[in-house]
Amino acid sequence: MGPFLITVAIGAIMVVLFLALSWASRRRASQSHHRLEDALKHLFDLEYRGRHGSLASLTGALRVRDGATLDLVKRMQTQGLLVARGAEFDLTPQGERLALQVIRAHRLLERYFADEARLPLPQVHAAAERGEHHLSPDAADRLSASLGHPSVDPHGDPIPTREGFVPPASGTPATAWPMDRLARIVHLEDEPPISYAQLVAAGIEVGQVIRIIDSSPERMVLTDGENEFRLAPAVAANIFLESAPPPPAHPCALRLAELSTGQAAHVLGLDDRCQGYSRRRLMDLGFTAGATIRAALTTFAGDPRAYEIRGTLVALRREQASQVLVQPLEKAS
Amino acid sequence: MSSSNAAAVLQRAAELRSTLSGQFRDETVKSIYAEAERIAGRASHHAGTARYDFDQRIDRIVTSPIFGLPIMALLLAIVFWLTVAGANVPSAMLASGFFWFEDQAAAVFTNAGAPWWLTGFIWHGVFRGLAWVVSVMLPPMMIFFPLFTMLEDLGYLPRVAFNLDFLFSRAGAHGKQALTMAMGFGCNAAGIISTRVIDSPRERLVAILTNNFVPCNGRFPTLILLATIFVGPLVSGAVASIAAAGTVVGVVLIGVVVTLAVSWMLSRTVLKGQASAFTLELPPYRRPGILRILYTSIIDRTLFVLWRAVLTAAPAGAVIWLLANIFVGDVSLARHISNALNPLGHAIGLDGVILLAYIIAIPANEIVVPTLLMVYLGTGMMTDDVSLEEIKRLLVTEHGWTLLTAVNLMLFSLLHNPCATTIITMYKETLSLKWTVVGTLLPLSLAFLVTFIVASIW
Repeated sequence: MGPFLITVAIGAIMVVLFLALSWASRRRASQSHHRLEDALKHLFDLEYRGRHGSLASLTGALRVRDGATLDLVKRMQTQGLLVARGAEFDLTPQGERLALQVIRAHRLLERYFADEARLPLPQVHAAAERGEHHLSPDAADRLSASLGHPSVDPHGDPIPTREGFVPPASGTPATAWPMDRLARIVHLEDEPPISYAQLVAAGIEVGQVIRIIDSSPERMVLTDGENEFRLAPAVAANIFLESAPPPPAHPCALRLAELSTGQAAHVLGLDDRCQGYSRRRLMDLGFTAGATIRAALTTFAGDPRAYEIRGTLVALRREQASQVLVQPLEKAS
Repeated sequence: MSSSNAAAVLQRAAELRSTLSGQFRDETVKSIYAEAERIAGRASHHAGTARYDFDQRIDRIVTSPIFGLPIMALLLAIVFWLTVAGANVPSAMLASGFFWFEDQAAAVFTNAGAPWWLTGFIWHGVFRGLAWVVSVMLPPMMIFFPLFTMLEDLGYLPRVAFNLDFLFSRAGAHGKQALTMAMGFGCNAAGIISTRVIDSPRERLVAILTNNFVPCNGRFPTLILLATIFVGPLVSGAVASIAAAGTVVGVVLIGVVVTLAVSWMLSRTVLKGQASAFTLELPPYRRPGILRILYTSIIDRTLFVLWRAVLTAAPAGAVIWLLANIFVGDVSLARHISNALNPLGHAIGLDGVILLAYIIAIPANEIVVPTLLMVYLGTGMMTDDVSLEEIKRLLVTEHGWTLLTAVNLMLFSLLHNPCATTIITMYKETLSLKWTVVGTLLPLSLAFLVTFIVASIW
C-alpha cells in the first residue's frame, strides 16, 4: 500500500503544480494585455481632451515602474499602435480603433452596472475596469442593444459607436463657468478616483442643474436650489457644464414615497437617476406622466406600499417609490 | 440601395442618435399608453365599482398590520397540516401495494427459473427504488400542490409576498421568494421552477440558489424520524411529541434563517453585477377555476416532478442493490465504501454509512433512511418495515449514535446539496453551468462546515 500511495501523492502534486504554473503564465499574459489596453485608453482620453500622452503620464496612469512603461511603449510601437513625436506620443489610426473598442466596452459596462445592476456609482468605474478587457466587440454590440443603445455613460461621457464614431468633447469646467448662470452637469471626470469620490459623496450627479454662487481660490460653492456644495477648485475642475434652460416648475411636486396612505396624485414622471431595468419595469406598469395614482395599502413594516394605478395594485419599495415624482391632488376622504 | 449609401445612412443615424435626448423612450411609452387608454375608453365602460370595493375590503384585512401575519400563518399551517395528515394513509397504501406487487413479480421470476441476481437487480433494486420514491412523494404532492395552486389562483399569494417583503428586502431578495420557499416544502425542484414569478434577474437567481435550504417532503421523514427517536425521549411522556414537533419546526426555522443569510451574502458578492428591480403586482381576487387548478397542479407540477424523480430513482435503486450485493472478500461493497468514508464522517459527527447513504441518495432524498437501515442491517435490499424501537436500538446500541449524531444529521439533511432532480432543474432554469455548480457546492460545503463546527464544540 505504501509505495502505491506515495506514487499517487506525487502524481497529484505534479498535476496541481502543472495547473498552477499554466494558470500563472496565462494570468501574466492577460495582465500585460490589460496593461496595453489601459495605455491605449489613457492616450485616447488625453487626445480627446486635446492633450498628448508622455512617458510620465503613462507611468502615472498605469501605476507601474518606468522600465515597464518603456517596454510597453516599445511593444506598442512595433505593433503599429503608437508613434512618438519627441517626448509626446500619438496613437496611430489602428491604435485609435483599438482604444475606442476598449472605451466602448468600458462605458457600456458602466451603463450596465449603474442602470441594470444598480451598483452604487463610485463602484461602477472599478467594476467596468475589470470587465472591459473581457468584452469582445460582438458582445459589446449585444450589450449595447440590450441597453437600448445608450449614448452616454453614467458620468456623461459619450459611448463610441461600433464604427468608432465619438462626438467631440463638450462642456466647460466649472472653474471656467460664470457665476449665477444656470448650468447642467454634462460630465464628471472619473479620474483621479479620489476627487470623483468626493463629488459623488457631495451628491453631485450628471444631469443636475446647478448654479455657482461663490468662487474663490480656496473654495467654490455650487447650489442646486436645495443643497449647497462646497468644493475645492481642483475638485470642481472635474465638473463639466453646459448651459441649461430653467427647469419646469412643479411647485408641490412630491416623491411617491412621501405621499400619505390614501392620498391620490398625478404622476409627473420618473427621476432621471432611475434608468435601465427599473425604469423599463415602471414604465411597463404604467407609471407614465399624467396617470392617476393612489397610495392604497401599507404593510405593518411601512415598506413596501401598494399603489393603485390604472385600475391595478402595484407594490413598490420605498427605494423605487422615491424615484416617481407626483403632484398630489386634493386630500382624499 | 448601394452598400456605400447604406453605410452613409447608418453613419448619419449614429450621429443623430447622439443628439437624441433620453426622453424619447418615455415619450414612446406615454403615447402607447395614451392610445391604449383611448381605445379602451371607447370599447368598454365600467358598471359600478362594487367588485373593486369588495377586493379592497379583503385587501385591507389580509394585509392589515395586525391581522395580516396571523392570517397568513394560519392558512399556511392548515395547508401543511392537511398535507402531512392526509398523505400518511395513501403513502402507506401505495407502499404496501407496490411491495406486494414486487413480491409477486419476484416469485414469478424465480418460478420461471431466472437467476437470483436478475430477480434481485430488477425487482429488489430498480423497482424498489422507484416504488419508494413514488409512494413517499406522490401523495403529499397530490395534496400540497392543488391547495397551494388554489391559494395562488385566488390571488392570495401575492399578498403574502407583500406582507413578508420587509424580511426579504433586508436580505437583498424579493418578497415573492417567500412563495418559492413555500413551494420548496413540497419539492425543491418545483420551488425552483416557481421562481419564474420573480421578474428581477438578480432576486430570481438568489431564490434559485437558496431554495434548497427549505426541507422538501423527501427530507421531512428523516427529520421527523430523528426528532421522534432522539429528541422526544429527552423530555417526559406527554410533552415528548410536542418536543419532537418543535424540533422539526426549529430545523425549518434554521433553514429560513440560513436562506436569508445566504441570500444576503450572495446579493452582496457574486450576484452584485446582476440586474435588479422591485415591483410586485397585486392582481384582483378571482374565483379559483377547479379544472385549471387540477391541471396545473397535477400535470404541470406533480407529474412533471415525479417523472424526473423516477428517471433518477430507478438507477439509484440499481446502484444500491449492486453495492449491497457485490462482495469483495466476505464484505459487501457498501461496507467497504462506508468504512473508507468513516474518518470523514466522524469528523463531522456522523459516520461513513450516513455519508454513503447521502451519496447514493443524490438522485432522491427519500431513500436516505431506507439505505441507512439496509447497510446497518447488512441486508441486500432497502428496508423500512422496522419498528421505531428496533431502529433506535440498532442506531444507538449497535452503531453508537448519540444526540450529536441526530442533531448533525438533521443539520446535514437541511443544508446538504440538492437532489439530482433539483440540480437538473436549476440548470434548466438558469441555463448556466456556473450557477448550477454554485447552487450545488455552496449548500454542500455549508453543510460540512456547520456540522464540523457543531461536532467540534459539542
